[in-house]
Amino acid sequence: MPSRPLSFLPTWLRSARVLIGIAIVSAIALCAIFAPQIAPHDPNEQNLLSVFLPPVWMQGGDPAFLLGTDSLGRDVLSRLIFGARVAMLVAVLASFGAMIIGATLAYLAGYFGGRIDALIGRAVDVWMSFPPVILSLILMVGLGIGLRNVILAIVLVDWTRFCRVLRSEVLVIARKDYVAAAGLLGFSHWRTITSEIVPATIPLLITLMSLEMGVAVIVEALLSFIGFSVGAQTPAWGQMIADGRQYIYDSPWNLILPILAIFLAVFGFNILGDGLRRTLDVRVSAQRT
Amino acid sequence: MDMLIARNLSVSAALAERPVNVIENLDFSLAPGRILGLVGESGAGKSMIGRTVAQLLPPLFSVSQGELLFDGQNLVTMPADARRELLGRDIAFVPQEPMSGLNPVLTIGQQIDEHLARLQVGNRRTRHDRAVAMLDAVHLPRPAELLSKYPHQLSGGMCQRVLIAMAFASRPKLLVADEPTTALDVTIQARIVQLIAEMQRIDGTSVLFITHDLRLAAQICDEILVLYAGRVAEYGPAREVFARPRHPYTRCLQLSNPVMSGANRGLYTLPERMPGLQALSEMTGCAFASRCPVVREDCTTTPPPLVSLAPAHRAACRHSEATPGIVAPQPPVETAPSAAAPLLSVSNLGKTFRVGRGFFQHEDVAAVKSVNFDLNDNEFIGIVGESGSGKSTVARMLCGLETPTSGTIAVSGRDVTQGDTAARRHLRSYVQMVFQDPQSALNPRRRVGSIVTQSLEATGTGNHAARLARAQALIAEIGLPPEAAFRFPPQLSGGQRQRVNIARALCAEPRILIADEIVSGLDVSVQAQLLNLLLRLRRERGFAMLLISHDLSVVRYLCDRVLVMYRGEVVESGVTADVFDNPQHSYTKTLLAAVPPDDPATIWRPKTDSADGTLPVEDPA
Repeated sequence: MPSRPLSFLPTWLRSARVLIGIAIVSAIALCAIFAPQIAPHDPNEQNLLSVFLPPVWMQGGDPAFLLGTDSLGRDVLSRLIFGARVAMLVAVLASFGAMIIGATLAYLAGYFGGRIDALIGRAVDVWMSFPPVILSLILMVGLGIGLRNVILAIVLVDWTRFCRVLRSEVLVIARKDYVAAAGLLGFSHWRTITSEIVPATIPLLITLMSLEMGVAVIVEALLSFIGFSVGAQTPAWGQMIADGRQYIYDSPWNLILPILAIFLAVFGFNILGDGLRRTLDVRVSAQRT
Repeated sequence: MDMLIARNLSVSAALAERPVNVIENLDFSLAPGRILGLVGESGAGKSMIGRTVAQLLPPLFSVSQGELLFDGQNLVTMPADARRELLGRDIAFVPQEPMSGLNPVLTIGQQIDEHLARLQVGNRRTRHDRAVAMLDAVHLPRPAELLSKYPHQLSGGMCQRVLIAMAFASRPKLLVADEPTTALDVTIQARIVQLIAEMQRIDGTSVLFITHDLRLAAQICDEILVLYAGRVAEYGPAREVFARPRHPYTRCLQLSNPVMSGANRGLYTLPERMPGLQALSEMTGCAFASRCPVVREDCTTTPPPLVSLAPAHRAACRHSEATPGIVAPQPPVETAPSAAAPLLSVSNLGKTFRVGRGFFQHEDVAAVKSVNFDLNDNEFIGIVGESGSGKSTVARMLCGLETPTSGTIAVSGRDVTQGDTAARRHLRSYVQMVFQDPQSALNPRRRVGSIVTQSLEATGTGNHAARLARAQALIAEIGLPPEAAFRFPPQLSGGQRQRVNIARALCAEPRILIADEIVSGLDVSVQAQLLNLLLRLRRERGFAMLLISHDLSVVRYLCDRVLVMYRGEVVESGVTADVFDNPQHSYTKTLLAAVPPDDPATIWRPKTDSADGTLPVEDPA
C-alpha cells in the first residue's frame, strides 16, 4: 500500500471531517466541563461602569474583557463559555433520550415486521406530520418552562428521526441469513436483536446521534431565545442572542458572538456526523475502494 | 486476418509496494467466426482480459506492456473517442448479471431503441420493426408485447436474451461474453449458450467466452485458453485440451469436477488457493508450483516456458509428460443408510403464498404442492430443480423458517408442523441449516470462534474457555487453521466461509443438515474440497442431509437418493444412479440433457424450447 496520511489512526478516524468535528466538539465540551476554571469572570458579574465594551481587537476594547461586555457589563466570553454548559447538556441528554425511544421502536418494527411495523410506522407518520417547531412549542406550553422540559420536548419531537432511518436499516439486517441462523440455533428474539442486529447498527446510531446533537443545540437556542428554557441567572446562547437583539445597532458583537458559538457547535456536530457516516458506513466505504 | 490478437500483453496492478502483473505475457489469437474460451478459477484474470478489451480496467490497473490488436488496431493505444466508436458496435458485450445489464426504469423497447438509434439504424418506425425482429431472432415469445415491459417483469434468462439480441444488433465482429450463464439455471444456460453459438454462426462473429466451467467450454469453444494467476497455463483446440490436458492445472480442474456419466469417481482436491497479488510479486518459478501434484525441484526457480506439444497446443509446463499420471482418488465408500424408522418424514407438504395487497386483489400462489419423502439416518438426499421449483421453500419449511399451509413434517416420529415452543425445541435439536450465501449467513462482526459456537451461547453451555476449546475442535474438524478462530468472516475466502457455515450447524450436533445450494458460486476446486468434507464428516459423525442444488453433478456425486422438483411438485424420485441413468419423467430428461456431457466428443443436445420456464409437462406414459 502506498503510505497514506494518518495511517496510524484506526480507519474510522482517518478523515479530515471526523478530525475537525472531534476537535470542535471536544473544545466546546472542555469549555462546558471546566467553565469555572476557564472563564475569566463570573458570567453574572455586572460591571455597570463598562457596558457595551467591544471585543479587544476593536477600538475601545478592554484587555480585561476579551470579547467585550453586554448591556449590564457582563463579560461576553465568560457567558459564552458558561453557555456551552447548557448547550452540551441539552445536546447529550436530548439526543440520547431521542435515540433510546426511536431506536427501541425501530428495532421492534424492523425485526418483527408485520403489524408491529405497521403500527409503529403509522405512529411515526402522524408524529412527523406536525411541524417540529410548533410541536415543541405546544409541548413547552404543556410541560412548563425549564431546562428539563426543553430536553423532554426535544426527545418527544425528534425520536421519529431515529426511528424512521434506523428501521429501514434494521429491515435490511433482519433479512440476512445470519439472523435466521441465530433463531435456528436457539437464540431468543431479545438475544437475536441485541447480539446480532444492534451491533450492526451502531455506526448508524453514532452518526444519527451526532447529527441530532446539532439539532438539539439549535432547538435549545430557539427555546431559550423566547425565554422557555433556563432562567435568567443561567447564561445560555439563545438568551444572549435575545439580549443582544435589542442593542443590535449599539453593539452588534453582542448578537454576532453567540450566533457564531451556535454556528460552530452545530457545524462541529454536523461535520463529525457526516464524516462518521462516510467512514463507518460500509456501503459508502465500499463505493470508494 | 485474426480478429483479436494479444501479443505479449501484461496488465499490472500498482497495489503492492511494486507493481504486480495480474496478466503476464499473454499471447493468443482469435480468428473470425471462432469461439475462444477463457477458463480458470476466480482470480485467474479471466475477467481482466475482458476488461482490457473494453479498456475498463479498475483504478490502479494498467496495461504495462504488449498490445491487443482488434482487427489490426491496437486497443491499448487507441484514442478514447475511436475506441468508443468500436465498443458496442464492432465489439459487443454480454454481461454476467443480465438484470444489472438493463436499466430498470426504462422499458425493453426504449432500451433497444436507444441502442439502435446510437447505431443509426433507420427512423423510429423502422427501429420498432427491427426491435421486434431482433427479439424474435433470440426466440423470445410475443416480441411486440415484450417491448413495453420493464426488466423486472422478465426472468433472468429472458433479460439475457434481450442483451444478446442487443449485442448482435450491430453485427459485431467480436463478442465478449463474461460468464453469461453463471446466474442462470442449467436448462436456461443450455439455451443461452446455444443461442450465442447460433447467432455467432449466422453473423460470423468471433467470441471471447469467459467461463469457469471447463465442460461447457469444451462443448462450445473452438479453442481454450486456461489461465492460472494471470499466466497462460494451457492453450489449444478445445477438444484436444479437454481430452488430453497437458498442464497439471487443467488436469486437476477436470478431475475436481464430478462426472455425469459412468461410475462415480473421487474428486481431486487442489490444496490451498491461487496465489494472491502479494505472493505473486515474490514468486520466482511456476505460479502453480505450490499446488501442483507433480511439482519438481526446478519448478520453483524459473518460470516455465510455453512449450509446444502438438500442433497449436501449448502448455506452460516443463514436465507435462507427468500430467496424465495425475489420477482421481478412489470414490468415496458408500455408507449404507440405516433403514430403521425414518428420521424425517414429510407427507403432503404444501405452501401457498399470498401475493398482492388488499382483501380483493390478492392471489394465492402454490409454491409447494404435496411433497412426500422420508429421510433415513446417514442418508443424503438431493433435491434438484430450476429456480422457482419450490425446492428452497421446502428447505425453509423443514427448518421452521416458514409454516406449511398443508401436510405434516415429523422429525424422529414427532410431528413438528405447528411450531409451538416445544416442537421448535425438538426440531432444533435434530435439524440445522447450512445457508446458501455465506456472506449473508455469517455475522461479519463476530469472530469465527464465536460464530461456530453460537449454539452453545444460545443454551448458555460452558464458559468462555470451554467454548473456545470447542470452537478450536470444530475448526480443526472442518480443516481450517487454528488461528481462523480469531478472524472475522470478511477476512476469509468464500470456501473457508462456507466451511465455517457448516461448522456452526454441526456444533449443535444435529442429526439432519438442510443444505441450500451450499456450493453454488464457488470454484470447482473449492467445491470439491467441500463435497469431500461433507462425506468425511458423515463418515466420522454420521448425519443425514437434504441437499438442495441446481447442480446435477454435485447431487450425483454426493446423494444416495434424489428428488426432482418442477413447479412445486416432485415429478420424479429414486436412487440417484437410477434416476440419472434412466430418467422417466420428461422434465428430468430435459434437466439432464441440459448438462454438458463429460466427454467432449459426445454431441451435446439440450432440448431448446422457445420460451423460458414454459416447458410443457407431459406425464410419463
